[in-house]
Amino acid sequence: MFLVVLKPLPKRAVSRTILGVVLIVIILVASAGIYYGFVYSAGTSSTTSQGSTTSSSSSTSSSSSSSSLTTTTSKTGSTRTSIQVDELTEPDTLDPAVTYETSGWEVVEQIYQGLLTYNGSSYTSYLGVLADSWAISPDGMNYTFELRPNVAFSNGDPFNAYVMWYSIYRTLVMDQAPSWILSQNLVAGNGLDFNVTDSMLNSIDYAHPSSADLSVMSNPDQSVVVLNASAIQFNLGYGYNGAAPYSGFLATLLTPMAAAVDPMFVGSHGGVVNETANDFLTTNAVGTGFYQLQAWVLGQSVSLVKNPNYWANSLPASQLNNAIAPAILNTVVINYKDSATSIADLRSGTVQMIGVPVTYYNVTAGIPGVTTSILPIVYGSSEDVHYVYMDPQALPILNNLDVRMAIANAIDYQDIIRIVFNGHAQQWIGPVPPGFQYYNESTAGMTPYQYNQTQAAISLSEAGFVSHLPNGTTLNPGGEQFPTVPFLYDSDNPTDQGAAEIISSNLESIGIPVSLQSLPFRQYATLIDSSSDENTTFAMGLGYYSEDYTAAIDYVSYFTSTDQIGSSAYVDSLVLNYTTQAATAVDSSTIIQAFRNITQRMYQNYTDIWLYVPELMAVTANGVTGIIPSPAGSGMGYFLYYNTISYSS
Amino acid sequence: MIPLRDFLPYLGKRVLGAIGVLIGAMLLVFIISYILNPNPAHLWAGARASKSTIAAVVARYHLDQPWYVQLYYFLQSYATGNFGIDPQTGRSILSEMEFYFPNTLELVLVSMVMIVALGVASGYIAGMRFGTKVDHAIRIFYLATWSSPYYLGGFLAILVFSSYIPLFPSGGMFSQTISPINHITGIYILDALLQLNGPAFLSGIDHVIMPAAVLALLDFGLVARIMRSSILNARWSTHVKAARAKGTPEGEVRRNHILRNALIDTNTIIAVTFGFMLSGTIVIEEIFSWPGIGYFTYQAIVSINYPVLIPCVLLFTLGVIAANFIADVFYSLLDPRIALGEGGGSEG
Repeated sequence: MFLVVLKPLPKRAVSRTILGVVLIVIILVASAGIYYGFVYSAGTSSTTSQGSTTSSSSSTSSSSSSSSLTTTTSKTGSTRTSIQVDELTEPDTLDPAVTYETSGWEVVEQIYQGLLTYNGSSYTSYLGVLADSWAISPDGMNYTFELRPNVAFSNGDPFNAYVMWYSIYRTLVMDQAPSWILSQNLVAGNGLDFNVTDSMLNSIDYAHPSSADLSVMSNPDQSVVVLNASAIQFNLGYGYNGAAPYSGFLATLLTPMAAAVDPMFVGSHGGVVNETANDFLTTNAVGTGFYQLQAWVLGQSVSLVKNPNYWANSLPASQLNNAIAPAILNTVVINYKDSATSIADLRSGTVQMIGVPVTYYNVTAGIPGVTTSILPIVYGSSEDVHYVYMDPQALPILNNLDVRMAIANAIDYQDIIRIVFNGHAQQWIGPVPPGFQYYNESTAGMTPYQYNQTQAAISLSEAGFVSHLPNGTTLNPGGEQFPTVPFLYDSDNPTDQGAAEIISSNLESIGIPVSLQSLPFRQYATLIDSSSDENTTFAMGLGYYSEDYTAAIDYVSYFTSTDQIGSSAYVDSLVLNYTTQAATAVDSSTIIQAFRNITQRMYQNYTDIWLYVPELMAVTANGVTGIIPSPAGSGMGYFLYYNTISYSS
Repeated sequence: MIPLRDFLPYLGKRVLGAIGVLIGAMLLVFIISYILNPNPAHLWAGARASKSTIAAVVARYHLDQPWYVQLYYFLQSYATGNFGIDPQTGRSILSEMEFYFPNTLELVLVSMVMIVALGVASGYIAGMRFGTKVDHAIRIFYLATWSSPYYLGGFLAILVFSSYIPLFPSGGMFSQTISPINHITGIYILDALLQLNGPAFLSGIDHVIMPAAVLALLDFGLVARIMRSSILNARWSTHVKAARAKGTPEGEVRRNHILRNALIDTNTIIAVTFGFMLSGTIVIEEIFSWPGIGYFTYQAIVSINYPVLIPCVLLFTLGVIAANFIADVFYSLLDPRIALGEGGGSEG
């Protein structure tokens, strides 16, 4: 009886299970169909409605698009009003006085504006943004700016010379990491009887200053002097550069640190506090720029929307330049994703621009409907230049010239460029970066360090150490064994790892044992930027330098004037003098001669082993037009502003 | 029902134990971080920070004091519920956690629904079809997915379903082309629903499906395995044989005697999995650009940012403790023979 009852059940159970599975599948498929019907229709309608609003502003960009990066535009495509961008790193902050990462500058430069900007793709000539005109005194110590009239912040607050005075001093008083860019030449106090403080900045009425306020702002003995409501003067000589002009001064004014910030907006959200960042300004922004911040979803994306109250909306086309033209696209969304995901998005058409390393060149070049261009080397240089640092404080034998020469000759530079970068990098001679003004003159007649293992082994043996020739012969067998050298690199950067492994193998083959050690980028960057007195753990490693502002002197100063681990803690009074000459000269021939002297001396001294400069590439969907490349650019590392960009698909 | 007179002393014991575990976890993170970098001021202030900025960081976090004094200040601030300021972003740590944690909760909850559905169903079918091809196929499938690393599953999913067959977005929590919604609970889908914002809700669903599905596919194996073994234990138990012998209808036997008993152990695993997932989504959040607490913790780890790391670890610990507690309570509810605190899982 039991068997009779129990045996048929599994069959019914099987049929019920099958029926259940079939039902679930049907429900799932139907739900998916309904769901995608919804999503698809929503997506289609939003695209159509956005498309109709574009044409009103598109004419304003025509004057600037002629010098733009060429990409293909679909002849039958429709104009879009938004663009999606993928790149790797999220902004550090949106406060122009605090941001110190490319991704932060990229967003800030769309929202905030400064007095000047670079003229198109040039980085040695300038255009007025908030400045109408400017003049430099013959001795290079005073810079006077006439400001544009009728400029206002996106919230309607006025811009004037008082606001500009406030903005510069705000950066100096807050004294955050990048403020040194300004404080090379400008400071909050004159060292005698005048000092701008946070309470002073917070108390002034910048729309209608009192006579007492005016007397403070127009005090002639300070770094920034208000001449009248529409004119301001910068006086050099107060900063740590000393009482001298500075050839890179205008370039420093083009950084976010010198952008106009709304004192009323800041005042109502915490104000200025001495040596302290403003929490509210970290994620909120009000500027004079063509875009305003719609949202920053931490860890995901930043979205920018057209500033409806943009002051240049009313300007005739003849008065516009590419840096102040109103935006063409209504919305720019910048997503923060890893390179593999960015490429997947580009392939699917979800995004139109991506920022990925040049090591992905073959991948992006093979995606249909996508344009991949290798940019001139100056763009790579402005992104980062790479070298091997050697800190003699951590390992005194690195003071030995023969040892440094052995290391320089042991490295197979072309192997690194070929294997790690698929050929998309260039060897260089520092400290002036390749492609920059004065590079060719500084390095004329010189050849980059050459791979020569025989010479490397000989040099090492002459330094008193056991070494090995490529054929296996041991030189100076009675000599001292070279100690194991800890070699640091950035573990977040795959090309760093590849290069470090090749260098390690090269050094070990001549008799220098290497212990590869890595740190995540933030720890790595902090460590190599710290004083060599503070840490002696990593005697050697890969160093990098990325521009703070687009001037050769920015790089040269770093390599010759700091005691940091990453600059090999290089101290040479003669080179320091040359650096000062280059920084303070007002004529090109003096600058060139100084740079040439520095280059030769560091080259012959093997101070740093100049390795490579990776090329930079532009990757966009066809139909993206109007990009104006600039070596100073933070947008994907190669352009400054999104306002001139349009997109048709 | 659990009598209140049993429950309150049990709760008291668990709370005391939890406090001990939380303090232990905090001490551990602090000590490890301190050993790794006893002077993190420069790291927190950022590369090329000025001396005055570094000095300000030192003063704010008492980094010039001995370790036990620093620890005292941490304990003091946590006792008052004040987690302080994130040394790297300058924002309030509590407000940062209030932003990131609900995002993780959203991801984990959606994923848990999938895990429970997939794990319980496949475990049940495998157990009921023990030794058949269906059983083998299910076991091979969950073992294969379970043993796959998150990054592999994540990248494969993006490659297939975002790039070549663009069904789902590759990352993010919602589309930024949609107007922002107000924060009510912080859980985006829920907030969109509460505000009856259809496009935002659909966008949220669209974005959560793939990361949640990957998480579920790679994690449902444990639930399926426990469910399968529990089903087998229950099927072969004497009370099931007795029920059948008494002529109890097969549907009732399966529902009340097999499934219910099997769910006791499975429930424990589901609860514990939930607790661990709250802290275990770091890789998935990184791959899918999901701004959750895992992403936030990862940023803190690489910077040895222990003012942020400690509250995050406390949150994760609390999640695991709470999940275990809930599992124990459910254990007693599902099986009245088991007193509170005596529950435990078994693996088959």
